[in-house]
Amino acid sequence: MRPTKSKLLGILAATFVGQMALQVGAIQDFWKKNYWSGQGFAESLSPDQTLLQLFGFREFLAGILWVRADSFFDEGNYDAVLPIIRLCTILDPKQIDIYATGMWHIAYNFTDEEQRSDRRYIPSALALGKEGSRQNPNTYELFFETGWIWYHKIDDDYHQSIKWFRQAQEREDMLPARRNLLANAFQRNNQVREGLEHYWKLYAETAADYEKQKDIYQLFQQKETLEQNLDTMIVRMVQRGWLAQERGDASQTVYDTTEPFDVGFTARVIVDEPKVIRVQGTWNVLPVGTRIRIIVRDADNPNFTLAAMDWDGQNEVVLDPERDATYLQDQGFVKNRRFNKRIDMSKDPTMYPFSRKSENFLVEFYYNPRSASLHVQDKFGWNGEGMTDKAFLRTDVRKDYEWVPGEKNGKYTDGWKLQERQTPPARIVYTSLKLSRDQILRKGDWIDKTPIVQTSNFDASRFSVTTEDIIDVPTLRSSAPRPGANPEKEQEAIQGAPGTTPR
Amino acid sequence: MRPIMAIATTTVGEAIRRRVLLIILFIGVLLLSIIPSLSVLTARSEQSTMISTMYAVLRGTSALIAIILTIYMIPNEIERRTIYTILSKPVMRWQFLVGKFMGAVLALGLMIVLMSSVMVLLFYIFQQPSPERLLEVARQPFFYFLEMMLLAAVCIFFSTFTTPLVNFFLSIGIWGVGTVLSPLYSSIASNSGASPIMQSVAKFVTGAMPAFSNYDVKNPIINPGQVIENEQKYFIYIVLYAILYSAGLLVAGMVIFDKREV
Amino acid sequence: MAAAIETRKLTKTYKSRLHGLINVVQDLDLTVEEGEIFGFLGPNGAGKTTTIKMLLGIIYPTGGEGFVLGKEIGDMDVHRIISYLPERPYYYEHMTGLEILRFYGALFGIKDEALFNQLLERVNLAADKSKTISQFSKGMQQRIGLAQSLLNDPKLLFLDEPTGGLDPIAHIEIRDLILNFRDEGRTVFISSHELSEVERICDRVAIINKGIIVRQGKLDDLLSGGRIEIIADDVSKEIADQVKGTTDATVSFHDGRLIVDMSDEQDPNSVVDSIRSTKGRIISLTPRRKRLEDLFIETVRDDDASKKKPAAVAAEVGGAQ
Repeated sequence: MRPTKSKLLGILAATFVGQMALQVGAIQDFWKKNYWSGQGFAESLSPDQTLLQLFGFREFLAGILWVRADSFFDEGNYDAVLPIIRLCTILDPKQIDIYATGMWHIAYNFTDEEQRSDRRYIPSALALGKEGSRQNPNTYELFFETGWIWYHKIDDDYHQSIKWFRQAQEREDMLPARRNLLANAFQRNNQVREGLEHYWKLYAETAADYEKQKDIYQLFQQKETLEQNLDTMIVRMVQRGWLAQERGDASQTVYDTTEPFDVGFTARVIVDEPKVIRVQGTWNVLPVGTRIRIIVRDADNPNFTLAAMDWDGQNEVVLDPERDATYLQDQGFVKNRRFNKRIDMSKDPTMYPFSRKSENFLVEFYYNPRSASLHVQDKFGWNGEGMTDKAFLRTDVRKDYEWVPGEKNGKYTDGWKLQERQTPPARIVYTSLKLSRDQILRKGDWIDKTPIVQTSNFDASRFSVTTEDIIDVPTLRSSAPRPGANPEKEQEAIQGAPGTTPR
Repeated sequence: MRPIMAIATTTVGEAIRRRVLLIILFIGVLLLSIIPSLSVLTARSEQSTMISTMYAVLRGTSALIAIILTIYMIPNEIERRTIYTILSKPVMRWQFLVGKFMGAVLALGLMIVLMSSVMVLLFYIFQQPSPERLLEVARQPFFYFLEMMLLAAVCIFFSTFTTPLVNFFLSIGIWGVGTVLSPLYSSIASNSGASPIMQSVAKFVTGAMPAFSNYDVKNPIINPGQVIENEQKYFIYIVLYAILYSAGLLVAGMVIFDKREV
Repeated sequence: MAAAIETRKLTKTYKSRLHGLINVVQDLDLTVEEGEIFGFLGPNGAGKTTTIKMLLGIIYPTGGEGFVLGKEIGDMDVHRIISYLPERPYYYEHMTGLEILRFYGALFGIKDEALFNQLLERVNLAADKSKTISQFSKGMQQRIGLAQSLLNDPKLLFLDEPTGGLDPIAHIEIRDLILNFRDEGRTVFISSHELSEVERICDRVAIINKGIIVRQGKLDDLLSGGRIEIIADDVSKEIADQVKGTTDATVSFHDGRLIVDMSDEQDPNSVVDSIRSTKGRIISLTPRRKRLEDLFIETVRDDDASKKKPAAVAAEVGGAQ
């Protein structure tokens, strides 16, 4: 029974077609969907590393690289860490730690001399979070971490952190203690009712769990915390007149927020030295704790907008930010109803290039009561209804948004849609002062002249120096002098250097 | 059928006594057993790294064994003239080829079972997983076995007309490409920038070449929690794929081997 | 009686990049009768193994046709009743003699343990049946080879250089086994260049040189036409030279001893007379049958002289096999 050649060739053709149909029709896409560990090839691997990963040692290699990244990190060699983070995530996109640490590192740890972080990297950090959560859709962590960057680092556009926290919430492994944060995010987005409801929901769940397992002390603790949170929130809702407002009878009683308080904002910018500015201003609120957000940025960069940039602009991770863009964010602490801050951008030319790309730069002042501390909010309300400013209160700086969840795709919600909310707009104190490139670099006409720009209502007399005006700005830095630090100069920075006019 | 089985069992007996293979096997087991101590590399993903690295060692070692075992199979028979005594008996050439292939597959199965047992044992000792988890971890080696069967078919096919040295590099090359075939395809398919022509070429090439990457199903095992629907169906498909593709290669080998002067 | 093997113009041509087409076997016409021991003789590289492989269907002829036991070559049915012992075969070294027999038996579908043991006894390996092949001597390997070739009780055996590389005692053992085969009515086809062995056991021979049969026939016929050997002492150099000059014979002379090997068709008296004329002493005068060795050398030498083929062919052919 010797098979004939034609019969063999027939079988050959049949098996070939059969396997191809299977591969192309059924296997390929299923594999891609379920077993593909993500990226194709990392171009920046060395030959031995390529070989390793080719033979399937991706996770192992990622582990080795991550250890190396850790040592760079310890040495403070942050720039070296960045590509390694990227490589590790390419090699082993299931390593949640690398994503989480990498995001945090990118968003927080590229800093200048004064420990101000380089915010041009934030879109990259968020992109890493997006990718990480796509790769690891079954765990809450990267959803939470991405939400946290919105909530804590960007500290604005709270609808974004709400969306991410809600997605984290859907994952079963979400830590109970971290669930509370969504209620806070709701409040910051002026979704007070949703915040309350979230607390109630958590409370009901925890209480039910506790009923079932009374011997678990942790559950008892959680229940207690939620009770307290609810308690405080309801008290606040009453005291701030929020409930009355919702009922429509706010005018009948006087609440803490009833009479909007005029903060009397004024500001001035003095360019002391090239790239060194002094920012001064008034803020008629006595309690300590108000921080005015100060931004120095290119005036015409299309990626920048009012006191913000397009944080959400990256969908694919790009670890190389726009290097010739300038974007600084700092804050002025209000004490004695004034703020006075010296901002030195001269020592970090890579972070603050003040490149030729821009002719003008803006110094922006931004105060959003939604981000304010609770005791300030007790007067101003969740949305700043208890705050006003004759000159600079604006309601067009931030629009109110909300992410509306779409259908459930399997276990998790999909198809989120961004929607504008029809609610009272955020009441924000905002203004900007323009400086030309020559002014900020003290070039051309400005070599010996000190450029000063100020709001028209600025009252210089309120900045006469008295001893009681010396404020010790609390920082987290060590009190030991830094190498190269000049205490006298720093003292001047707070009080104003001699020779600058007018005083 | 009887001659095929006789040839297959004899081949197994010979394979498990080949010193080169035993040395590779030993090195594989050795590597496996040092992996648990390397797992400190990642604090939290210790289990993932441990499993994936063990899998990589298992896969690499098996592939090397598969290639070395099969490339010499037919040339050795010719060189030692045993093939004459066999072919002068009522044994068709295709029976000889199939017998050799089955012997290789059986031998590979034995060696993979041995290595997997060591792997599972180590995993059990160092991680103390639940029985379900242990079972899950033990699943991937079965698919590596299918992959190695396919690789053995590739080598046997080449050995019907090339020398062992050429065969070695050819097979390693094909395996190398085959293991990255699906990732490559996936990259191209998901790259919106790739032209439609490029995409269909990629589709054809990945459809024609042996896609060893199909058997790399470790992702959900390394990263538990992923829900895969219809996984059983996929498993059936890839078993079928291995059988079809190997059969095709064997038939092609038969066509060539039948005309070959030995 | 039907022919066990019959070939007509069987030809095997290889293509060589260096020498173009090479006829390893050319127009081979061979007839082997059933029940005889047939010697297939030729120098190394003459095409003996190629012929056997063609007859077995392991390689394919490029021309002519051949029949084995009445069936066209390559017919799988024939493989059930023939067997082949290749030149210096190797067996799977990890196996014992018994396992080898079991393995080859399985190829026929034979599972008869009694037969296996009986065969081991027959080739005198019963005592060594638990030894692995790696512990076997060459002779033992050849004997286990013979045992496996008897598994299917073959009607026709192909033995390729069955005594090659064996010591004299092993030679005798193997020879006896082969002679037994004939007594059992089997046809034996022996390819060899060890002529003394073949001469002792073969009924008929064919001599192949450079792919072509140059002689074929019954050994008795081929070797008939006797010779006379004359040995004498005290012969002078002149006489020796004279004998060399007058007779068409092989003459050797050393230290006064003269050995003349001449055809019996010539008159030995004239040689004897010459020796005696100078007081040479005749020691013996023996009539002798022609040796196969002589026939072989004579045949091959004549053939080579007539053809003058390039010497490279032999090496090339050897490589091609």
